Amino acid sequence: MDPITTVGAAIAAARPAYDDLAALAEDVEDEWSYINDLASAWVERFEAVVDARGGEPAGTGVAEAVAALVSEAGLVDDPHRAIDWLSTFPQVLLVAVGERP
Amino acid sequence: MRFQDASPDARAVVYAGIQADPLVARAAGRLADATHDQRILARAVMNGMSTTPGTWAAMFPSLFGAGAPSDGPERARSEAILALSLEVAERGEQVRSQVRGAIVESVTEALVRRRPEIGATSTAVRRERRVLFDGVRAEIHPYDVTVETPGAAEAIDCKWGARGINADVLHQLDDARTHAADEDEQLTATIVVFDAERSCAVRLERQTAPHDATRLIALEDLDRLGGR
Repeated sequence: MDPITTVGAAIAAARPAYDDLAALAEDVEDEWSYINDLASAWVERFEAVVDARGGEPAGTGVAEAVAALVSEAGLVDDPHRAIDWLSTFPQVLLVAVGERP
Repeated sequence: MRFQDASPDARAVVYAGIQADPLVARAAGRLADATHDQRILARAVMNGMSTTPGTWAAMFPSLFGAGAPSDGPERARSEAILALSLEVAERGEQVRSQVRGAIVESVTEALVRRRPEIGATSTAVRRERRVLFDGVRAEIHPYDVTVETPGAAEAIDCKWGARGINADVLHQLDDARTHAADEDEQLTATIVVFDAERSCAVRLERQTAPHDATRLIALEDLDRLGGR
């Protein structure tokens, strides 16, 4: 993981873990469309934050927050829990970088 | 339109035990007073895998970081919510799910009781009640919280996550509202979701069940329950 010095870098560092959650969640076939719509909606929000504040310095503790969040997401091994985390993960990330979800 | 206690079937008996768990009341009490960030903390921990407090504290610099209060009531609440949420997380998977649901219901009731016109001990706010209408078969599932104030009644269903929003609950809420209107009664149908509004919007977008007249209260807006 590259050093997290900006808001944009924080979100970029978190994205692969989010994509992994989405891939795991897709095992729940009945929810495939919802999962993809949900992930797209949050990725859109990430991109909006990067567009607006991507170059801003990341606040104190943001790098540690992202590392902890990515690590926690990596522990999720149940696709149903992954669906819930597809919503929880972005809220935690956005609050960490000082954004309202 | 009239309200009635739900039948004490097996599900109700088991669930009453969950609702009576002191952990539910303690967590709900803290979450009713919580900030948005603290509520997200609870949501994350209660659905998380880690049970080490330091992991979660690191994830929330706004609550536990260098810029957060190092003492005082806000910090105390953050620490209490973290500890209580970990207690929930340490329950078995099925019990954890039931406890989370009961907590959302209990927080909802606590916030509704803050409405100026209701009061903390009012008998107008009830749990696990059905709404009955003349000539209409009663719904099987009771509403989680009801406000039984004449002229300003409300039926509230509570969900832990956006995924809990489904056709059955939307139909039931909308049916209650329309049946009340048929009797010239006003009934607000509300769904409370302990999840982000954005996620709820995605879920609702996919629903064909009627929901335009159902009020959504998402995690960001829980305090609106206290003021309508």
